[in-house]
Amino acid sequence: MKKTLLLLSIFSFAFAQESLEELKRQLEEQRRQIRELEKKIEALEKQKSEAKEEVKEEQKPAPADRTLQLRAKYEERLKAFQVYPFRQTAFLPDLSLIVDTSLVGRNKNDQELKRLEIPGLYHRHGSEEHGILNKNRGFNLNYAELYLYAPVDPYFDLYATIPFSEDGSEVEEAYAVTRGLPFGFQFKVGKFRSSFGRLNAQHPHVWDFANQPLVYKVFLGDDGLKEKGVQLNWLAPTPFYLLFGVEVLQGENEQSFGTEGFKVNTKKDGSGTDITIGDTKKPNLYVGFVKTSFDVGDLSVLTGLSFATGHTRINHLDDEDPHAFAGKTKLYGFDLTAKYFLDSYRYISFQGEYLYRDQEGTRYAYDDAGNLITPSIKKKQGGFYSQVVWRFAQRWRTGFQYNLINKNDVKENGVKINLSNNLPAYYAMLEYNPTEFSRIRLQVGQNRAFFQDGSRKTVNEVILQFNFAIGAHGAHPF
Amino acid sequence: MRMLAILLLLFSFSFANLKVVATYPWIGELVKEIGKDRVSIYVIAKGTDDPHFVVPKPSHIAKMRDADLLIMQGASLEVGFLPPLLQQSNNPKIQPGRQGLLDLSEFVKIIEKPVSVSRAMGDVHPEGNPHYQLDPHNIPILAEVIKDKLCQLDEGNCVYYKGNLEDFLRRWDAKLKVWDKGFSKLRSVKVIEYHKLYDYLLSRYGMVLVGTLEPLPGIPPTAKHIESLISQAQGVKFILQDVYHEKRTAEYVAKKLNARMVILPHDVGAVPEANNLFSLFDEILRRLNP
Repeated sequence: MKKTLLLLSIFSFAFAQESLEELKRQLEEQRRQIRELEKKIEALEKQKSEAKEEVKEEQKPAPADRTLQLRAKYEERLKAFQVYPFRQTAFLPDLSLIVDTSLVGRNKNDQELKRLEIPGLYHRHGSEEHGILNKNRGFNLNYAELYLYAPVDPYFDLYATIPFSEDGSEVEEAYAVTRGLPFGFQFKVGKFRSSFGRLNAQHPHVWDFANQPLVYKVFLGDDGLKEKGVQLNWLAPTPFYLLFGVEVLQGENEQSFGTEGFKVNTKKDGSGTDITIGDTKKPNLYVGFVKTSFDVGDLSVLTGLSFATGHTRINHLDDEDPHAFAGKTKLYGFDLTAKYFLDSYRYISFQGEYLYRDQEGTRYAYDDAGNLITPSIKKKQGGFYSQVVWRFAQRWRTGFQYNLINKNDVKENGVKINLSNNLPAYYAMLEYNPTEFSRIRLQVGQNRAFFQDGSRKTVNEVILQFNFAIGAHGAHPF
Repeated sequence: MRMLAILLLLFSFSFANLKVVATYPWIGELVKEIGKDRVSIYVIAKGTDDPHFVVPKPSHIAKMRDADLLIMQGASLEVGFLPPLLQQSNNPKIQPGRQGLLDLSEFVKIIEKPVSVSRAMGDVHPEGNPHYQLDPHNIPILAEVIKDKLCQLDEGNCVYYKGNLEDFLRRWDAKLKVWDKGFSKLRSVKVIEYHKLYDYLLSRYGMVLVGTLEPLPGIPPTAKHIESLISQAQGVKFILQDVYHEKRTAEYVAKKLNARMVILPHDVGAVPEANNLFSLFDEILRRLNP
C-alpha cells in the first residue's frame, strides 16, 4: 500500500515543472526513503514471526503470559474464516444407538425351524424374514437401532426410530406429537407403534424377555403393530390416570390385516380365469383403547382394554402351497400390570395380556386336482402371556413368562377343523445390568406351540443376549 | 366465542388454587412455605427414593395433566423419568419453553462441572453436581425464585407470597446462624461418602472429601476400589451414607478406618426426623455431632 502511494507520488513528481537536477535529487531521496521503509517493514515482519513462534512454544506447556494469550487469541480471531459461522450443531437432535446381539442355542436347526408352524395361527414365509429376533443358531445381530428426538417447533415433537440390520435399514417409526393441545388432548401423526395393548408400544430393548410373547407373534406378527396413521388421545381430568385413545391406521399388518388385493386363478397352473379381489378401503384399521392406573401404597397398577378392527388381505399365492385370504378381523386385548416397589431399586412385577381374535372371510387355495377352492373361514382364537419379574438387586433381575394359546376354533364352511387349542411356551431369564446402558441376559425357554405335518415339535432354546445403548439418556420404563 | 371465553374464565376461577408439581420433596416444602394454602402441591419422588432412579408411574401423569407449574431440580437429575412423564402429561403449560416449567438449577452455582463427559466415567452429569439443595445458603435464593415464579403465574396473590417469603427468610436466616456455627466445628474434618451427594454441604463448611465408596458415579463399590480407598485414606472421621444404598460397605470401611458411619438424609422425608426443610438441616447437624 505504502509502495503504491510512493509510486503515485513519484509519478506526480515526474509531471512537475521542476528542473531535471532537482527532479533527480528528489528521485534519489525517494529511493532512499523507500529502501528505509522496506527495511523497517522487514524488521517488523521478522519481529512478528518471532513473536508468533514464541506464542506457539508458550501455548504447549502453559500459557503463562496473559498478554501473549490475548495476542494469540487475537491472531486466531483474525483468521476467523477457519470457523464456519453458520454452525447449527446446537440444534442437533438427541441421538442414541441401541445395539442388540445374541448367542442362540436351539434343538432345531434354522431350516427345521423355518418349516415349523403354529396351526391356524402362524407360519413363516420366505419373504417375511425381518423382525424375527434371535433367528439363527449361533450369533445374531438383532439390530442396531438409531433413535432420534427433538422438538420441531413450539407445536410439535418429532421422534424417529431407524433400526439397521445387516441387510439394510427401515424406518420403523417416524412420528410427530403435539406439545400444545389444550384440554388434555394429544395428537400423533406418522408411522408409530400402536398403543394397542401394553407391550406393543414398547421397543424390544425394554422388553423383559428376549422375544415377544406368543400371542403377539401369532396375532400381530414378529414386528408387532407398527402402522402409518394418526392417533388422538385424551387424558381425562381425573385424580387417577385415565387415558382414552383412537387410532386410524393404514392397516398393513401382515399377520391379521393387510390392504392390497390380489388376483387368483381358478387353476393352480394358471390356465383358468382370474378372479380379482380388490384392495380394502384405505385407511383400513381402526384402534381404540382405554388405560387406567392407580397406586395403592407401594403397589402400582396399570390396566387397559384395546380393540382393533379392519379388513384383511393375506396373499401367499407365490408360495409353494399357494393360498390367500380376504375378510375382516377384530382384535380384543386386555392387559394388567401390577408392580410392587420394595425400595428404590427392587420390585416385583406381574404383567399379563389376553388377546382375542375374531376373523372371518374367504380362503383361496387349491385342491389336489389344482382347482381353486374358496371355503368360508371363521376363526375365533385367543391366548395370553403372564409373567413375573423380580428385580432383586440394583443390577439383577430374574423372571418367568408363561404363554398359552387356549382357544383355536377354526371353522371351514361351518365345519370345525380339529386344531390344537393347547399351545404353551415358557421362558425364564436372569439379567445382569452393569448400568442403565448395558444389559446381559440369559434366557432359557421351551416352545410347545410349533407343529410340523400335524405333530407337535418342541423347540428348546438358550439365548445369551447383549444389549447396549449409547448417546442420549433413555428413560427408565415403568 | 365470547360465551366460551367467559365459561373458560369461570372454569379457571373455580380452581383458583395454583397447581404445582415438584419432582422432589424439598422443592415441595419450599413451595409450601411460599404458597401455603393458595397453592396445591404434588411431589413426584419420595424422600427415601434414590433421586436418580424415580419410577415414572402413570399416576404421576394424571397429576401433571392439570399442573400450572412444574418445578424441577435440573442438572440432568430427572433425565431418566421426567421426559416421558412430561410427554404423556398432555399439558402444554409445563412443557419446556413455557412459563410453567421452572428449573431451579439455573439459579444456583453448580459445582464440579466436568470439562468433558463420557459414560466411561460413570453416571456423570455434564452440568455438574446436581445435589445443590444440601447447601443451606442456596435455599433463600431458591425461595425467592419460587416466589417470583408464583407471582408471575398468579399476580393476584403476589403480596401474599411476598409476605410468606419474608417470614420464611426471617426464620431461615435465624437458623442459618445456628447451622453456620454448628457446622463450623466440622471444618477440615475428613469424610468419605458413598456417592457425591453431600458435596455442597462439604464445600460450604470446609469439610474435606477424601473419596467415595463408588469407584465412579453410579457404579457400585468394588473390592479393589475399597481396598485402595482404605489404604490411602487417613484420619477419616465420617463415612457419609445415603438412605437408599446398601450400608455394608460403609460399615466395613468405617470399621477399617476407625471412622463412624453416619446415615445422612439428603432430602425431606429421607429419615423420619427430617420432616421439613428446617429439620432436614437440624438432623444433618445433629447426626454429624457426637
